[in-house]
Amino acid sequence: MLAYIARRVLATIPVMLIVAFFVFSLLYLAPGDPAAVIAGDQATPQDVERIRASLGLDRPFVVRFTEWLWRIVQGDLGVSIFTNLPVSHMIAQRIEPTTSLMLITIVLAICIAVPMGVVAAWKAGSWIDRAVMAFAVFGFSVPVFVTGYVLAYIFALQLDWLPVQGYTPLSEGFWPFLENLILPAIALGSIYIALIARITRATMLEVLAQDYIRTAKAKGLGSRGILFLHALKNAAVPISTVIGIGIALLIGGAVVTESVFAIPGLGRLTVDAILRRDYPVIQGVVLLFSFVYVLVNLAIDLLYTVFDPRIRY
Amino acid sequence: MKRRDVLKGGAALAATAGLSAPAVSQGVAANRVLRFVPQSNPGSLDPVWTTAYVTRNHGLLVYDMLYGSDAELNVHPQMAAGHQEEDGGRTVVITLRDGLKFHDGEPVRAADCVASITRWWRRDPMGQAAAAATDEVTALDDKRIRFRLKAPYPRLIPTLAKPSNGLYIMPERVAKTDPFQQITDYTGSGPMRFKREEWITGQILVYERFADYVPVSSGTPSLTAGPKVMNVDRIEWRILPDPATAAAALQAGEIDWWEQPQVDIQPLLRRNRNIVVDVQDPIGLISALRFNTLHPPFDNEAVRRAVIAAVNQEDVVVAINGNDPAGYTTGVGWFTPGTPMANEAGLDAFKKNIAAAREAVRAAGYRGEKVVFLGPTDILAPKAASEVMGDVFRQIGFDTDYQAMDWGTVLQRRSSKQPPGQGGWSVLCTSFAGYDFLDPLVHSQIRGHGDQAWFGWPNVPKLEELRNRWLASTDLAEQKRIAAEIQAAALQAAPGIPLGHYKQFTAYRRNLQGVLKGIPVFWNIRKG
Repeated sequence: MLAYIARRVLATIPVMLIVAFFVFSLLYLAPGDPAAVIAGDQATPQDVERIRASLGLDRPFVVRFTEWLWRIVQGDLGVSIFTNLPVSHMIAQRIEPTTSLMLITIVLAICIAVPMGVVAAWKAGSWIDRAVMAFAVFGFSVPVFVTGYVLAYIFALQLDWLPVQGYTPLSEGFWPFLENLILPAIALGSIYIALIARITRATMLEVLAQDYIRTAKAKGLGSRGILFLHALKNAAVPISTVIGIGIALLIGGAVVTESVFAIPGLGRLTVDAILRRDYPVIQGVVLLFSFVYVLVNLAIDLLYTVFDPRIRY
Repeated sequence: MKRRDVLKGGAALAATAGLSAPAVSQGVAANRVLRFVPQSNPGSLDPVWTTAYVTRNHGLLVYDMLYGSDAELNVHPQMAAGHQEEDGGRTVVITLRDGLKFHDGEPVRAADCVASITRWWRRDPMGQAAAAATDEVTALDDKRIRFRLKAPYPRLIPTLAKPSNGLYIMPERVAKTDPFQQITDYTGSGPMRFKREEWITGQILVYERFADYVPVSSGTPSLTAGPKVMNVDRIEWRILPDPATAAAALQAGEIDWWEQPQVDIQPLLRRNRNIVVDVQDPIGLISALRFNTLHPPFDNEAVRRAVIAAVNQEDVVVAINGNDPAGYTTGVGWFTPGTPMANEAGLDAFKKNIAAAREAVRAAGYRGEKVVFLGPTDILAPKAASEVMGDVFRQIGFDTDYQAMDWGTVLQRRSSKQPPGQGGWSVLCTSFAGYDFLDPLVHSQIRGHGDQAWFGWPNVPKLEELRNRWLASTDLAEQKRIAAEIQAAALQAAPGIPLGHYKQFTAYRRNLQGVLKGIPVFWNIRKG
């Protein structure tokens, strides 16, 4: 097992290298010019050229990529073209809000979606099942930003229960921290809840049709025991796979949610950087996201062995 | 009692149970904290390195200026006690007033001013003209700055008082930074100190009142002139990129002032009696179309001129700013309405007649070449103007390839001199602050110096000749006459087309008193 983990961790290195190359190439090929953004509308073409040269953007692709890669190897993500701050510092400032939002969303989604899916499967064909599926279709169909605006309108503007926007770090108190993340987590989690609930229902339906469940019922085990101890554990592998895949969904959704609720996270940092063509920041954030995604997949693979002891690496 | 009060009570209870309580703006009383949503997220905080208006506004808080301009663009001493002219106007000596200090406690010296001037005037067009007129600028001692001019240059002091992207005084150690490199030390001598330690890019910028700032003792606060008296102790710039969220936050009282509410949200805000929606800066902005004069069909002056006949400025400015007549002006030429150089010369070319324009385009020799129109998608005013003008171009018979792209891509594409079919462009729309169109000295759109000119690179020697005549003139009446000639010549050669003037609205909570018109400044404001 340890050898497998070590192999998988080492395998992230070539993956990251490929990602790094693609990110750098795409940015190199993509149109846009940070020098022109910096210079402003009154600048002459000569001013823009001078700024481009001062930023080193006039140098060949290979030179820029090699330098960047060498710095990455040394743990240096570079400096933002615009803010002149180290990219690692900017990411460090933004990582807490995004991590908090994603963790709360995942916990919320699992706590809501898994029981929903289990109950829907248990009561398959009933009004409960139909209600859960209707909710799932609704969750899939409504874009995150619409859910966000509606929630903010109802719970912040009309009822004044929660703030419209912003983020308060955990260090400034638990309630202020949570207060700012409740609406964003529900908005971001709606698609995720729908996804997990549907998969849980489908997988549970399959498991509940197995012979051993019938045997358990024949032995007189209670519904709760059958559902949560025997059936759910066997359905956990596909559910955890979907949760892992959903992390990518969350990263994409976080970009929108952070904009709607003005949360200073990595999603907004990415969008701002892309609009300005702040290359070092884009490269740093995309590398981080891909690294996290690789690690999440590794964690999910390892979780399989917990849910299903037959799986060995 | 509202539900939220109950929740807050719960939070207080939790705090007593050992959880830390939220910091309320670092212990500053609520009515001494101003929460402001700027027009965008200031990427850079160096107002020389970038000309972004949001960075200019940051600069006005943190830095002070030698001279200020009032709303009528009259010049008043600010850090300067005054100046004297010697040697028939060929030498100008500016004396600093007493008590000026930087935020680090060091006194402001003439050497700091000289370094700031020489950094700034390498980048700013108006500053560059002053630099070209100057043989030498030196610090005579700690209090006096001497300009030795090549010839008397009456625009020197107005140049130093330029309100938009003007001269900010920095410590010499900071101002020695190459103007094409960013500064990293934000020490100024303005009324507010930037708290770098609380800066989270994309979320918040914090300023605290500079206790040692000494405002000028007389005058009335107006634009960048007069006493800069701060009635709040802390200003927080909250970055809210989503307009609906900013609107909700303003209505909920989570913010006090939103610099640029989007036009479609303004009616919602106007209905709220706790919110004031008003014109922020009467100088406003001018929407403009620009042709690439290097390639067909717009290398043909007659084709360019023919387009003017189709333009209805009202269509453009209403699309940009809504149909409130207080928010726009039509019948606008190449100078900012309401300022001395504004005139009506050549405006009869705007016939608002699509059929006539179509015929004129054909008669001018248009041969069906593809017209690449760069249409930005993420900057509201240029987007609206481009969409209106893109439709006009189709109606008057151009084979228009309207290419929608983000603003960053427009900025890159417009610098390409390649033919339109090979990554170049034919036409684009943008907006300029009224301060950039005050006179021929600062104006970029009525130049005709070919390769050196603004994107589009028109080569119109007559425009340059007229500009030189204007620069040589010191008589206002003569300057106005020449400005009218320039406008007529610019509408004849048509390197671009003025598309109308509009004024940006701002929105703030009614308990803010003393918000000044013009560039958003924060002195004089009281929060009730």
